[in-house]
Amino acid sequence: MGHRNAVYRPYAQAVPGAYSVSKKDKSPCTTACPGSVNAHGYVSMIGEGKYKEALEVITRTLPMPGVLGRICPHPCEDACRRSEVDSAISICTLKRFAADQVELSELEIPEIEQRKEKVAIIGAGPAGLTAAYFLALEGFQVTIFEALPVGGGMLRVGIPDYRLPPSILEKEIEFITRLGVEIKYNTRVGKDITIDGLLNDGYESVFIGVGCHKDMKLGLEGEEDVEGVIPGVKFLRDAALGETKEIKGNVAIVGGGDVAIDAARTALRMGADKVSILYRRTEAEMPARDEEIEDAFEEDVDIQFLRAPVELLQENGKLTGVKCIRMELGEPDDSGRRRPVPVEGSEFVVDADILIPAIGQKTDASFLQEADGVELNKWGDFAVDQVTYQTSREGVFAGGDAETGASIAIAAVGAGREAAISIARYIKGEDMKEGREGLEIPQSDFNPIPDKMEKKARAKMDRIPMEERKSGFTEVEIGLSEEIARAEANKCVDCMVCCECLECVKVCGAGALTFETHEEEDRIEAVEVGSIVISSGFEPYEPSKLDFFGYDRHPNVVTALQFERLLSASGPFEGHVVRPSDHKEPKKIAWFQCVGSRETNNCDNDYCSSVCCMYAIKEAVIAKEHDSELDASIFYMDMRTFGKDFEKYYDDAKNKHGINFIRSRVHTIDPVGDTGDLEIRYVREDGELVVDTFDMVVLSIGLETSPGLKELAEKFNIEMTPGNFCQTDSLTPVATSQPGVYVSGSFQGPKDIPQAVVDASAAAAAAGQNLVAARNTLTQTREIVPERNIIGERPRIGAFICHCGINISGTVNIPEVLDYVRELPHVEYVTDNLYSCSQDTQATMTEIIKEYNLNRIIVAACTPKTHEPLFQETLINAGLNKYLFEMVNIRNHASWVHKENPELATQKAKDLVRMAVAKIGLKMPLKEAELAVNPTAMVVGGGLSGMSSALSLARQGYQTHLIEKADKLGGNAHSLYKTWKGENIPDMLSDLMGQVQSEENITIHLNSAVSNVEGFVGNFQTTITSGNEEEVIEHGVATLATGGQEYKPAEYCYGDDPKIVTSLELDQKMLNNDASLDDVDCAVFIQCVGSREPERPYCSRVCCTHSVESALELKKRNPEARVFILYRDIRTYGERERKYIEARKAGVVFIRYSLNDKPAVALKDGKVSITVKDHVLGKNIEIEADLLTLASAILPNRDDQLAQMFKVPMNDDSFFIERHAKLGPSEFATDGVFLCGLAHYPKPIDEAVAQGQAAASRAITLLAQGTITTNGEIAAIDPMSCSGCGICTSVCPYSAPSLIEEGRFAGKSEINSALCKGCGLCVSSCRSGAIRLNGYDNDQIFAMVDVA
Amino acid sequence: MSDWEPKIITFLCNWCSYGAADLAGVSRMQYPANIRVVRIPCTGRMSPKFVLASFMNGADGVWISG
Repeated sequence: MGHRNAVYRPYAQAVPGAYSVSKKDKSPCTTACPGSVNAHGYVSMIGEGKYKEALEVITRTLPMPGVLGRICPHPCEDACRRSEVDSAISICTLKRFAADQVELSELEIPEIEQRKEKVAIIGAGPAGLTAAYFLALEGFQVTIFEALPVGGGMLRVGIPDYRLPPSILEKEIEFITRLGVEIKYNTRVGKDITIDGLLNDGYESVFIGVGCHKDMKLGLEGEEDVEGVIPGVKFLRDAALGETKEIKGNVAIVGGGDVAIDAARTALRMGADKVSILYRRTEAEMPARDEEIEDAFEEDVDIQFLRAPVELLQENGKLTGVKCIRMELGEPDDSGRRRPVPVEGSEFVVDADILIPAIGQKTDASFLQEADGVELNKWGDFAVDQVTYQTSREGVFAGGDAETGASIAIAAVGAGREAAISIARYIKGEDMKEGREGLEIPQSDFNPIPDKMEKKARAKMDRIPMEERKSGFTEVEIGLSEEIARAEANKCVDCMVCCECLECVKVCGAGALTFETHEEEDRIEAVEVGSIVISSGFEPYEPSKLDFFGYDRHPNVVTALQFERLLSASGPFEGHVVRPSDHKEPKKIAWFQCVGSRETNNCDNDYCSSVCCMYAIKEAVIAKEHDSELDASIFYMDMRTFGKDFEKYYDDAKNKHGINFIRSRVHTIDPVGDTGDLEIRYVREDGELVVDTFDMVVLSIGLETSPGLKELAEKFNIEMTPGNFCQTDSLTPVATSQPGVYVSGSFQGPKDIPQAVVDASAAAAAAGQNLVAARNTLTQTREIVPERNIIGERPRIGAFICHCGINISGTVNIPEVLDYVRELPHVEYVTDNLYSCSQDTQATMTEIIKEYNLNRIIVAACTPKTHEPLFQETLINAGLNKYLFEMVNIRNHASWVHKENPELATQKAKDLVRMAVAKIGLKMPLKEAELAVNPTAMVVGGGLSGMSSALSLARQGYQTHLIEKADKLGGNAHSLYKTWKGENIPDMLSDLMGQVQSEENITIHLNSAVSNVEGFVGNFQTTITSGNEEEVIEHGVATLATGGQEYKPAEYCYGDDPKIVTSLELDQKMLNNDASLDDVDCAVFIQCVGSREPERPYCSRVCCTHSVESALELKKRNPEARVFILYRDIRTYGERERKYIEARKAGVVFIRYSLNDKPAVALKDGKVSITVKDHVLGKNIEIEADLLTLASAILPNRDDQLAQMFKVPMNDDSFFIERHAKLGPSEFATDGVFLCGLAHYPKPIDEAVAQGQAAASRAITLLAQGTITTNGEIAAIDPMSCSGCGICTSVCPYSAPSLIEEGRFAGKSEINSALCKGCGLCVSSCRSGAIRLNGYDNDQIFAMVDVA
Repeated sequence: MSDWEPKIITFLCNWCSYGAADLAGVSRMQYPANIRVVRIPCTGRMSPKFVLASFMNGADGVWISG
């Protein structure tokens, strides 16, 4: 939405934080140029007003910008994509403009290392001059031999001065000769020199660029003898060299090319009475430049089309006229142009004193001698290799018109440059062809042209007055004004994005950007691997395909991803929420759900994209945080907030933030005049049509697999689902159908971050299982920066104040804090950062620490609990002890919590930084100890998730103890029938149990419970009680997979009648193949029993899919059965949606109820009667059911004792709290303890198995390290002050202190650094003041309190 | 006296209350800006001397949480 330059940084916190250059396919103007001149580059430079830089771009491939800028027929313009908007950019004229602005002599001469080899060039035309220029740049000694007394070849003697003033050409020849190129004029090859002779005279190589200077004949009788017949090229040459000064009478010219037009206009200027051009075809076929034809018309040249001369009329050997015949166009010839055919009997006479045939030129190769050994092709031009331009004689090259026949100057320039490259390589003995064979690069991926681009007129040059034009040879075209030129250049649509001006190369001090990196292209590398993980993500749905939303027509209709950018501090408006059309703050925003999801009419995505409900709510809430007055409405079908804590967020959005949730699918958006507002129409739940106007509409677009990823899947021969996601099984949720290839993230199905992170860890575990033997074979050791000794230095504090985007700077006045902190004692350096945590800021900090010799670092930003390790790493990289660091939490503790009062928040931020400054001066370097990790794991809970975890650990080579309280493994899976994918759960279960039981690294402890836990990460001692037996197991890590259970409903008459069952009980009936199921005529399911209730405000995630699945099973058993599902929102997320569709197709009736109008269940005469209000009819209906299934909630198996023993937290609903909801879903904040399965949150089998593997994966990252380092912030005892009272040994919960038994300090206390957790309990309890806590010493805390 | 605002020095345990204060921020709870936080590794580290020092230095209240 905002503007992004070709060189950009992806986003502030991007890793790597480096800049990128965005390049599409090469700009068509550049590829169209036979001279490979980078038109895009110089046009961009002109647009910027950088004319010298524009010339630098041009002269990289073309040494004559002013010449070509005047006379080039500009194939670049034919290719220009701007013509899709209005017309091609006047690229050629812009080139002339640039050349007119800057004297070429101002360009610096590059440093050239001179070589002694000599090269001869024959002909000082565009090909020869260009070859000479590039050879001179390579350091060769170049001599040009020119037959004429002037340089430039056809440019000088073929193009009249009014088009190309000789002074321009001369200056550009000078630009070439200033490199040391020598031109020997009046030296004709064949007469004065020979090619063979040059080679024998010490020239290493010869380039032939003699051009086409021989006129073709009309083939009419008397053509060579009659006075008054002057061939076109000769006529122009004589005029240019001043040999003809004046002509009289009528002039007729035959031909239609540039030479014909040039001859006509020249004749006019030299005094001819009347000038006619006779051309045998029509204007459309005329090969001359359009501008030239136009000019000729303007100057009253009489151009006659469809005429051909047939006879010369003469009197006394002097021409009097030409007899012509009329022509008409017949069938197309070889060139594709229609062949002119004479009209019989249509002869007529044109009076003419002079006839100028200008029907083409040929190469004059008569100078060649046998000894030269150079061959010609069948057209009489020089035969060369098409890549190297080498002729049949080694070391002799040819190019330009002499090789191609008469062509355009820029082609000769291109040939000259290519030949120069070949000659240089030839002389150096290098392979002339390497890397030069034409590569087929597809030309299709260009910078898109915006839809609403303003049409603009093409810039045209002014001309001198007609009188002046006709009376002399003054240049006709005046050139563009600066204003017009820049405006014209700025019309460029930047096809390639990067214009390759290479200005970045000039300014990049680090040398990161070079000519070579600019040329870098995709390359193919082969890597040998044992496993592959595909984690290629999704592509956001492109909503332009849904025409009725008008996404591509209305600027204020944006996608949710675009809206995310609008909300972001690093977004296009720096976090200021404004709408795209007029940058006004929107006051009313609508979100439309299910755009490109759950939709088969307008797109093929029948699945639910799983994440959109939650992100829409989040966006609405954050938008409200930006503007509390905002009116935010979310239009949805089912609200699918099925993730952990999502339902609470939904409730808060409704009740606390006042977001409107409207259950309706909006079908039309209409713009309201030019206001940018959008009128929408929708039908309310009660059937009423509503018309409402919004400032902005956000489309909650779904997730899709990209076409590229589908192709990749095909290459891997991976089975895909109908929704084009990777097919997986519930027991191997991250394994594709191709062995050794694994999947994570949304390629496996649309999913949110926590699930994607779980998958990623699981995929790592699965991939790792194949690689056990190869572990530690490709490890690299990190370079250790030596730690600087700062003892004895006075504190030199560096303070870094973070904006955190706008999170802090939006409330706290950062400049004020900076000014304040600068004045604090010992502060040597203060700065602020947009994101202190970004990678490049870390690099900058490292440099600053070194440069200013800082020895204490403060970062005032977010919380040390998440970011301290990152900054400590930076200290280490800067050679500082990591404990010389203090973090000040001015985000969570100031800006976020005192939003309403920026002044107080700023004051608090200053105070907190001041306290940290006071403390840090007293901090000293601390040491850490290294401890071995016991490579044994314990998994508590033997359900599917726990078993999967144990299996994964064991297969990676770690001894694993699996603790199960029941007498068998399997847990809840024993009560389940089928997965939603149709897999038979008992089969799956016995398969997995078999694998676990036969795995030799697993020790299974049945009927066992954890009764005591001692130790810490890497070294736990856990007591297992089984009956009366106790066993202590030593292990390094533990995974808690304690599972969950079904809620036994207290509502809906559960327990009063055997016909009322829970979902698991129904599964049990199915497992038992209960015959009574076949007789069920009417079955009812009630959803959300015990879930999404005030006392249990979470969604149990699995019940909707489970009930739909069971309903289908009942329908399968008895297709006539009436089956009802009473629901609040159907949450068949992902491809489970297809089951929901299938159920509706099968005739299952879905009736929605609301929390405050729940169904009523009554038992009447042995029948179960359910009354529910139908949401369509708005009336109560009563259903008599043979079977009522209550989709009851999943409860965790709460175990407070276990949680306390492992020191792990639980939430209000008694589920364990993971380290981080998004990024650490399978581990606890407590080191060495992990979690998975239902104990974390309700989840289906595939997700439980994945999390089991994920927990194992996370645990292995610890186990594989072998050692861990202890904290340096621990207690230390001064034995001289210790009285040996032993209080510390009694208060320490970790048994870290003990009394020394012998030696000098016998009887005194000492601390075991491995056991000490640094709580400081002993410090406070020490009555002798002998114990200090490193990092939280008394003086440090007093210092903080003193200045608080 | 109506303008008077108390200065409260707050000792927060790193593991629970400090985390809770972080969470209050994440949840965007709004509360008066009168507290000045001293992070301690555990309330076990708390010493009566810190309380006295706080009052000596002009604190109107001391809050220990852990």
